Amino acid sequence: MQPPRPSVTAIVVAHDGTRWLKETLEGVLRQTRPLDRVVGVDNGSRDGGAKMLTEAFGPNAVLTLPRSTGFGEAVAAVLERLPRTGGEEWIWLLHDDSAPDPRALEALLWAAAGDQKAAVLGPKLRDWLDRRTLLEIGVTVDRSGRRDTGLEPREYDQGQHDGVHQTLSVSTAGMLIRRDVWEQLGGLDAGLPLFRDDLDLCWRATAAGYHVLNVTDAVAWHAEAATRRRRRMAASDVHPRRLDRRNALFVVMANLPFRSLLWSVARNLVVSLFRTFLLLLAKQPANALDEVAALVSVLGSPRRLMKARKARRKNRKQGYPQVKPLFTPSGMAYRRLADMVQGYLSGSGPIDSAGRHHAVISEPAKEDGEELLTDAGLMQRVLSNPGVLLCLALVGVTLAAERSLLYGDLLGGGALVPVVGGASDLWHLYTSGYHASGLGSGGWAPPYVAVLAALSTVFLGKTWLAVSVLLLGCVPLAGLSAYVATRSMISHPLARVWLAASYALLPVATGAVAAGRLGTAVVFVLLPAYAALASKVITGERRAARRAAWGLGLLLAVGTAFAPLVYVLVAVVGGLAAVSFGGVRRGVGVSLGIALAVPIVLLFPWVVQIAGDPGRILLEAGLHRPGLVDLRLPPEALLLLSPGGPGVPPVWATGGLIAAALAALLFRRHQMVVIVGWGVTVFGVLVAIVAARVPVQGAPAWPGVPLAFAATGLIVAAALTGHRVIELHRAGGLRRAGAAFMVLVACTTPLLVAGLWIKDGVRGPLQRGVPSVVSDFVAAGSPQGEGTVVLRSSASGLLGFTVLRGRTPLIGETDLPVPEATRDRLSDVVAGIVSGRGGDDAGTLATYGVRFIAVPGPVDAKVRRSLDSDPALVRVSLSPSAGLWRMVQPLGRAYLVDEGGRRTPVQYTASGAGLTVTVPPGQVKRTLVLAEPAGGWTAKAGGTSLAASTVDGWAQGFEVPSAGGRVTVEYAAFWHDAWLWAQLALVALVLILASPGARSAEAVEEYAEMPVEREPQEVLAR
Amino acid sequence: MRGLIENRFGFLALVLIALGALFGVAFVTRQGVTPAPVPAPGRVAVESVSTVCPAPGGGRISAVTPPGGKGAGAATIAEIGGKPSGAAKLEQPGVPWQRDLPAKSGPVKVAGTGAMAAGLEATQTTRQLTGAARGLAGVRCAEPGSSTWFVGPGPATADVQLYLTNADAAQAVIEVMVYAGEGPVVSESGNGLVLKPGEHRTIRVRDLAPSPLIMAVEVRTISGRVAASARAVLGKGKGADWLPASTEPATSVVVPGIPGGGGLRELYVTAPGDADTVVHIKALTADGFYAMKNRESLDVPAGSTASLDLSTGIGGQPAAIVLTSEMPIVAGLMATGTGTRQDVAFSAGAPAIEVGSVVADNRSGKKVSSRLILSAPAAAGKVRVQTLPRRGAAPAPVEVQIPGSRTKEIKLAAPAGGGDYSVVVLPLPGSGPVYGGRVMDERTPEGLLLTTQPLALARTWAIVPPVAESSTVVLP
Repeated sequence: MQPPRPSVTAIVVAHDGTRWLKETLEGVLRQTRPLDRVVGVDNGSRDGGAKMLTEAFGPNAVLTLPRSTGFGEAVAAVLERLPRTGGEEWIWLLHDDSAPDPRALEALLWAAAGDQKAAVLGPKLRDWLDRRTLLEIGVTVDRSGRRDTGLEPREYDQGQHDGVHQTLSVSTAGMLIRRDVWEQLGGLDAGLPLFRDDLDLCWRATAAGYHVLNVTDAVAWHAEAATRRRRRMAASDVHPRRLDRRNALFVVMANLPFRSLLWSVARNLVVSLFRTFLLLLAKQPANALDEVAALVSVLGSPRRLMKARKARRKNRKQGYPQVKPLFTPSGMAYRRLADMVQGYLSGSGPIDSAGRHHAVISEPAKEDGEELLTDAGLMQRVLSNPGVLLCLALVGVTLAAERSLLYGDLLGGGALVPVVGGASDLWHLYTSGYHASGLGSGGWAPPYVAVLAALSTVFLGKTWLAVSVLLLGCVPLAGLSAYVATRSMISHPLARVWLAASYALLPVATGAVAAGRLGTAVVFVLLPAYAALASKVITGERRAARRAAWGLGLLLAVGTAFAPLVYVLVAVVGGLAAVSFGGVRRGVGVSLGIALAVPIVLLFPWVVQIAGDPGRILLEAGLHRPGLVDLRLPPEALLLLSPGGPGVPPVWATGGLIAAALAALLFRRHQMVVIVGWGVTVFGVLVAIVAARVPVQGAPAWPGVPLAFAATGLIVAAALTGHRVIELHRAGGLRRAGAAFMVLVACTTPLLVAGLWIKDGVRGPLQRGVPSVVSDFVAAGSPQGEGTVVLRSSASGLLGFTVLRGRTPLIGETDLPVPEATRDRLSDVVAGIVSGRGGDDAGTLATYGVRFIAVPGPVDAKVRRSLDSDPALVRVSLSPSAGLWRMVQPLGRAYLVDEGGRRTPVQYTASGAGLTVTVPPGQVKRTLVLAEPAGGWTAKAGGTSLAASTVDGWAQGFEVPSAGGRVTVEYAAFWHDAWLWAQLALVALVLILASPGARSAEAVEEYAEMPVEREPQEVLAR
Repeated sequence: MRGLIENRFGFLALVLIALGALFGVAFVTRQGVTPAPVPAPGRVAVESVSTVCPAPGGGRISAVTPPGGKGAGAATIAEIGGKPSGAAKLEQPGVPWQRDLPAKSGPVKVAGTGAMAAGLEATQTTRQLTGAARGLAGVRCAEPGSSTWFVGPGPATADVQLYLTNADAAQAVIEVMVYAGEGPVVSESGNGLVLKPGEHRTIRVRDLAPSPLIMAVEVRTISGRVAASARAVLGKGKGADWLPASTEPATSVVVPGIPGGGGLRELYVTAPGDADTVVHIKALTADGFYAMKNRESLDVPAGSTASLDLSTGIGGQPAAIVLTSEMPIVAGLMATGTGTRQDVAFSAGAPAIEVGSVVADNRSGKKVSSRLILSAPAAAGKVRVQTLPRRGAAPAPVEVQIPGSRTKEIKLAAPAGGGDYSVVVLPLPGSGPVYGGRVMDERTPEGLLLTTQPLALARTWAIVPPVAESSTVVLP
């Protein structure tokens, strides 16, 4: 005997949805399995929805409710009034914008009959407009409430997901639910008038032991009018996105068992904050606000949550094992996060598809590395990418050539100060107003210290790692940067590979590594990025051009901090570009102006220092030593892009490159660009000649940066003709031979340079295991930063010295400005000591806060004799590797001078840049002397400021009261700190302006009126 | 212009012209930058000198500051640990100060500052006609330092005593190293000792190493400074004298001031390093360099001392010995006088007298004579010799030419007023390096009394190396 036929009641809830309602009603009424009862609910439609419902269902079957009624309330209101039939009874819920297929109900009921436990069933939802696009085949969430439909964006329905399967939740649009289950569960939560009410209901159903099924044989078309903001929501005035997020969080938190809840709260906090951060970066503050507001509103009303949890207490824990397997697999969350970051980096903004209500997003941006999009395995994809292969090859070449530098102790030598300290030390150096290092300086630390500090922070505080990667890895980094940066300029990947290899293996790179020129290495990596951004500024679409200008400004500031000359080069070429393109394209002038102004503003105080000593423009970060440059660089070396100095290959190695670039001039296509490239080259070489011939502090600068600049123009010019060479090759015959010859010639440069580099290795002066000039004994003996004079005699007979403060100087500390007068005065004192003339020079040295004299080995016999014969010095140790002498009566960093000129040390402790001194009671007229240059210091004793004076013509003195007591000496750095904050704000601003923003996220999709595909049929009324 | 653009080779030509122009600019300026020459070392007047005369008891102390110092200054001569009131003052530069001290006197500190420090020189000379220490013995009062080398006979041949004085305000920790003919001597009792400020001590080398026939001693400090002198008493009838401090180990050593005449001339060479070495020996006499037959070279094992008899080689001529080796060496020489009761004198490796040299105590008379033996192993030397008498006006200085690769002996004439006098030897501009020694002898019926003093650098000027502040010193 057949089971009794179940009774089905359709409930259509309408709210300002006349646009879709007609078709929906048609779909309801034309079901192949006729409905037993139909009820229409109108939530106060203003567009005649009630009338349409009445026309379709008759006046008795239509209920009118106020506008603010939610979907769940509306259904509950109908069921209140609807009498029971007694037998098996099903409710079919429909939105006004969800049109069911005529066979939908039949399919649903058939599936329900097949599963005794099935209590909630939903159809396959397709898009209203694009009728083959899948929207939902059941929905699940992860533990942080993100929706997951399991579908790709814009996935077409080709039956690939067909079948009846259990899912966590189905949409209320087309949901078929057993009436007794509905009543047992209490229906849709009235607290969730929109969004995720379905999830909540289905969760509870699953937890209660029922099955939630998606039946793909049943189809409905859904317009998702509320989410897509096709209509105003009256049930809530909150933005749908925020509402959705809030409800999602609420549902998850209400339904999870307690222990999972705790984990979920923590996780949601972290994930939400991270998402907010990403959204802020993408300049989507509204989205970010929604994200935070949703979280706050859920966590901010715990009572509501408690109430909801209380209502769901019954089956929550017991039913959780049934719910758990239906969640999104946990790996999904990370994939989603990765997608989001990737999306952000690729410029499309961090919109994560599945996090929105539906799976449809705007067409994904054309992927950047289009060659990556071949449909193959990951490894195959990566390994067949020429850029990756190039990088691997360059890394291999670098590792082979730098075999002597790969591991060991302190990295240093050449222009690079031994790399000591961590990120916090560098941050401290950059942010402090007074630098108690060397002779003491109140000047600005060079801004590259901040860049290195930031990088070191990324490298977990390890400065040596950051410097190693930047300096030793500059060849592969430059190759990568050149390969990626020319993406939009040069289409052929092989030409780009040649370009990147030629660029990365320039003599400038090997020379920079050998001499430890961190500045050139950084600029060398950045130059291709400058070229790419500048071309975007000039040729790009306006918004993109402006963004590129901010980015260029920021990167230019970084490069300028390391090697100021690059700014001059870019500024001159940029100025010329502004003149030539300014009239042609609107906004180019302004954009270039932004790019050139940003470095000046960001580096302002330091730029002023540089302007005071213009010769330093030619120098770069690190030490300037005459031994590292070729004093008589031959003219052919300059033309062949060889900067001279240690570690550069023979000048002829780059001949092939020049020849290829000259040959490029013969091609007609791209001729203007090639000419521009050559113009850049000629200009770069000219600047290189100037740099190589003008002495700065006794020796010319190394022309690495201008030659790298020149090479950029040259290589781009040559690579542009790459496709033409390929065409010639295809032409066959003599042309083919010519093309092959050209390729051969062009490839000689990178191959030769790489070969020679590997053969010779990096022979220094950069080396591992630089002996520290400050021994542990000295470090332990100068706990408050007392001075140590380091003396080293050079082959030329010149005796160099410097003052250190009980530790090896940090990178950047050696670039702090030292007043010439102080330097000369100290030179006289040191000369006196080293001459061994007796006298009180050592005593004078003590007034500079010096406690030790260290002589790194080999110790010159005369120096040793002089130091030994000075009664004010005591030898601490002497070995072939180092000698150390100590002052018999050191004064320390602070001491007292009485009226008779007698100097006595005092007790003090260093705190930051300042000191706290304990002055014993004594005579009336005494001066507390701080062994730091006078100016900018203030001292306080018991709340009163002390009168300042200058002692010995340079040191800072204060009149101290005869009673003595604690004196606090501080350096006034208010304006310094203020400017630091301003700098931070400016950097953040520029970063935001430069970062890729999403295209206007809420762009109104053109939503044409429903395309009528079928001939109109009259509405059947029952 | 249009033709240029339309021609395929137009731009190529333009670029080549531009490159040619760049080449031209670079070529014209190819002289590049001549690095600023390192300034030549300057010199400054010494401002402070302190020396210690180790055991002047029964002898005579002579002190002198050569004239020429500018400004104010003072020099004092005081017994270490003695009463401050007992200190004597050196009145004026250019006039030697002399005093005979009672037999029980302790070490005397001669210290000068300011103008009186520039060139301050002090010598102690003893003359004994009887006893084991019979002979003429003189030593330059020692400057406190961290390392002093003495080379000479060992405790098995002579009674060698070290006189150590700490005249500074800081304590000195001292180590005595002995390099014997068989290698370095490691003492079981340890070679270290501590001298408090103002303390002085006499050490018999025999207590440290009893057996060496010949030896080198290094007195070095681990911390602080010490003024060290060494005295060798060869025994009754064999004479006694002080060992002059030798130059530090070097690969080229000149032992100057070897007196002419009869008697033994024995060379001692020590290689304190870790490797054996062959020392090439040449004598520099008035006739030039010559390699002595069978004595061209000497093998010195690592860490040990070797000796060589040069008596017949030099053949009684005043000479200097020039030694070269691959490893650093120190060298000394013993000369004995003639007669039935001999006296002994020592010389040692000495530096070239770049800024001049002062010898405080010289005597000339009927039986006593003082001679300078100057050697110019390289280019010709030219020096000015000025005698400073105790009484009366100083005679006009004498200019002396020493031909290149020659040794020259100059007999010092007694000043008009008689008595002892000081001598200043000053190289003139254009002179090659000059090494020298002063020989003083006295004929007695029993034999010749003899003492020598290699010329040391005067403490007049200090060489100031060019100094510049530079951060690059943090790197090798």
